[in-house]
Amino acid sequence: MAGSTIDHIVALTVFLAALLLFIALFNQTIQTAVLYQEHRAIASKCTDLLDNILLNPGYPTYWGPSNVTPTSFGLQDPEFTQYRLSPFSLMRLNSLSGTPIYYPKTGLTYSNITMGFGDFLLVPYSEAINYSTVSQLLGTNNTYGFQLNIAPIVTVSISEFQSSNPLILSVNVTGKGFPLASANLSYCFLTVSLQGDGSYPSYTTSYGSTYADEKGMAFLQFASITDNSTSYALIVYAHISGLTGMGYHQRVTSDQQYVMPLIDDFSTGRVLIAHSYDVHYFGPPVAEISYNATFVLLTQDFSLREVPLDNSTGKIGKVNYGNGQPYGVVTIPTGNPGILVITYRKSANEGGIILMPWGVSAMAFEVAFGADMSGKEWVATDIREVTVNNVAYQANLALWSLQGYQVKG
Amino acid sequence: MMRTVEVLLVIIIITGAFIIASIYAVLPTPRQVSPIDLRRLALTTLQTLDASHDLSNTVFQPVNDTSWNDLNIALSACLPPNIVYNMTVYEVQTGTTQVYNMTNSLSNAASLGVSTGAASYLIASSNVTFSFIPERIGERGGGGTLYILNCSDAYGWWITGYTAQKLAEDLYNLLSPYFQATIMVQNTTQLGTILNGTTISSNPYENIANAVVIDTCGEAVPIPSGYYATQGSQDSYAKYCYILGQKTRLYNWTWASIVGYPLYYVSNAALFPSSQNTWGIYGMQLVAPAGLNSFLEGLDNQPYVYNDNWITGSLAGSVYLSSEAQYYCNYYGTYPSYYQSSSRALPTSILTTYHLNVPTYIFDQSGNYLPGAVYRNAVSGALLALGLTRSPDIRLTALGLLQHYKPRLYRSDYNAVGTSRVVILQLGQMGGI
Repeated sequence: MAGSTIDHIVALTVFLAALLLFIALFNQTIQTAVLYQEHRAIASKCTDLLDNILLNPGYPTYWGPSNVTPTSFGLQDPEFTQYRLSPFSLMRLNSLSGTPIYYPKTGLTYSNITMGFGDFLLVPYSEAINYSTVSQLLGTNNTYGFQLNIAPIVTVSISEFQSSNPLILSVNVTGKGFPLASANLSYCFLTVSLQGDGSYPSYTTSYGSTYADEKGMAFLQFASITDNSTSYALIVYAHISGLTGMGYHQRVTSDQQYVMPLIDDFSTGRVLIAHSYDVHYFGPPVAEISYNATFVLLTQDFSLREVPLDNSTGKIGKVNYGNGQPYGVVTIPTGNPGILVITYRKSANEGGIILMPWGVSAMAFEVAFGADMSGKEWVATDIREVTVNNVAYQANLALWSLQGYQVKG
Repeated sequence: MMRTVEVLLVIIIITGAFIIASIYAVLPTPRQVSPIDLRRLALTTLQTLDASHDLSNTVFQPVNDTSWNDLNIALSACLPPNIVYNMTVYEVQTGTTQVYNMTNSLSNAASLGVSTGAASYLIASSNVTFSFIPERIGERGGGGTLYILNCSDAYGWWITGYTAQKLAEDLYNLLSPYFQATIMVQNTTQLGTILNGTTISSNPYENIANAVVIDTCGEAVPIPSGYYATQGSQDSYAKYCYILGQKTRLYNWTWASIVGYPLYYVSNAALFPSSQNTWGIYGMQLVAPAGLNSFLEGLDNQPYVYNDNWITGSLAGSVYLSSEAQYYCNYYGTYPSYYQSSSRALPTSILTTYHLNVPTYIFDQSGNYLPGAVYRNAVSGALLALGLTRSPDIRLTALGLLQHYKPRLYRSDYNAVGTSRVVILQLGQMGGI
């Protein structure tokens, strides 16, 4: 009898121990499988969401070049089908990458997509579309976080190989995975003159084209630049077999005092011209800056065509720092993408040139929009090749779940 | 002892079950869990390369042409470094057992790996021409006549930069393929004739009833001498506009005003040789807002009451084409600017006052105003009014009418052997697990 009882006790104990062990083992396998399923669901959601964003223009259809907040979000160019994005809708996205700036004369904070000195795109928060709004419109608020990056495929980097007499600029063209060997390069060279009428600066343009070598390199020589004190800008378009990109480079002689274009109204094309001291608070004393603004369009043959601004819309003007010194105003006269070129003059020897894209594609600006993905447990990504006004871009969406550590799909 | 042995047997069975389950429950690799959609990437790559028709040009070139090398460079440059590709171009053949015949292939790797995605893209040669045959308005039912007021003895206003005759010519070119009969009303006498219900041409398809009448004189409307000038002269010719409204209702016309304030002036060079429209244009008489009000009264068969209240609104900012209008821009291939200025937008209050409904919104409604729409009376007759600021874009009038009547386009294409290519782009992902 005692032996039977001991047998029962031993058997039951061993059985229960084994059962618990196997439950744990099976549970681990099931947990892993469930987690994989949930990750898979996020990846599918990422693909769907990216197509949703890229394949519909949103509503109102033309919300990009207007001041309205869309009631349905999408970035497709309403004048096209397929993966063609609106350069203006992209321009209105609140930038994740740049540090916002505050301009006291309007009392507004501006989203900053500046790509380096002299290449500004500053959009007031009141006109920019922020992440929370888009998240609600896409139906992902509180369930998914995302970050959308729209970056040009072709990178055209320009540097000074020789600074003067003659000026030689090195142009390097690369794609995502390979140099753009033999790419056709069309360029526009703008030379700033500080001796214009009435102390306003002006510029002259020259055009040319050449080919990149097998490494995607080219050297451009400008004999007219004989000293280091001449300000200039070079805009280069690279294209080969349907792949188009662009780059730019400036040299200025006044990099502390300059003008900054701030977008004020998308629907009317109104842009404010601010004195840099008002934005960066370098402090007095400062000099008045005169400017001369022009708008240029990219034509089908990759040359730039000037669209004259009327004096009544602020072609030329002067701005200064501090109270009682109003900002300048220019009005872009067209709804087409282009580049606002502003030459400025601080003194007879100091000045420069500022470029602002009207539509991100005009200067191949990169757009980063959404939330910070650092520290997220599982991030799914997907990519598409897109065009923005014929400039090739790559759209990359990163998506993650906001529903806890277990990452519910 | 037996119980312990039984338990050991159970443990062996469960262990076996676990091992078998583990063998068959193969979990996917991380790449399979969250893959890059290679199929979509391939398709969007082809679309990007063809955005400016470069791909379309290249695939029809001989295989030794340098453009193939450029295409290879472009493909390598636009894809991420860890993506390899194989692009194959096939000629589409007809009448043979082998439909696809390979013409060229590009690749940057010997193998595409285990996981690939492919997309196909059909390209037609620029030698292929497409054409369409439009359905003519009136083919199915009555009407189908378009009258364009091309009156040589009347002047226009707010058509700055154009003449009524030039606008009439453009309208003829734009709209005549869509109507069974397009009749140019050459003078005010002919206008009087059709107002009397008599045809003015030998065209067998001309039909007064259910016609469309486009007033190319902008804010002015031609007025015939004689009966209509006599009967309509009351209240600075507001009564004439009332009669026009009545005729529009009687014949179930669609009266189209191309720009500005409709029926703001009446014009007849012979009738008003010494009177001008207050802006120095002789041959014209100011009717003012009473013209439109009277027209709408006539359209709704209300008794004539002189009403010179200004009813239109001047809208701040731009007005935008409705989504339906944008759709028909693509359908009919006419692309006026999608945003316009509107300083003579009609109020929505006229819908109830004159028993109108709006079957066609050319522009989106802005507040209580309609910048451009077709207003159809509940019984008969309609008014197309574009309350835009001068100068007129005549394509908007054409678009509005096409959007309203929606004639179908029967598309046909002329194709030939060797004029189509299929491009297959297959992508593979290298590295990682």
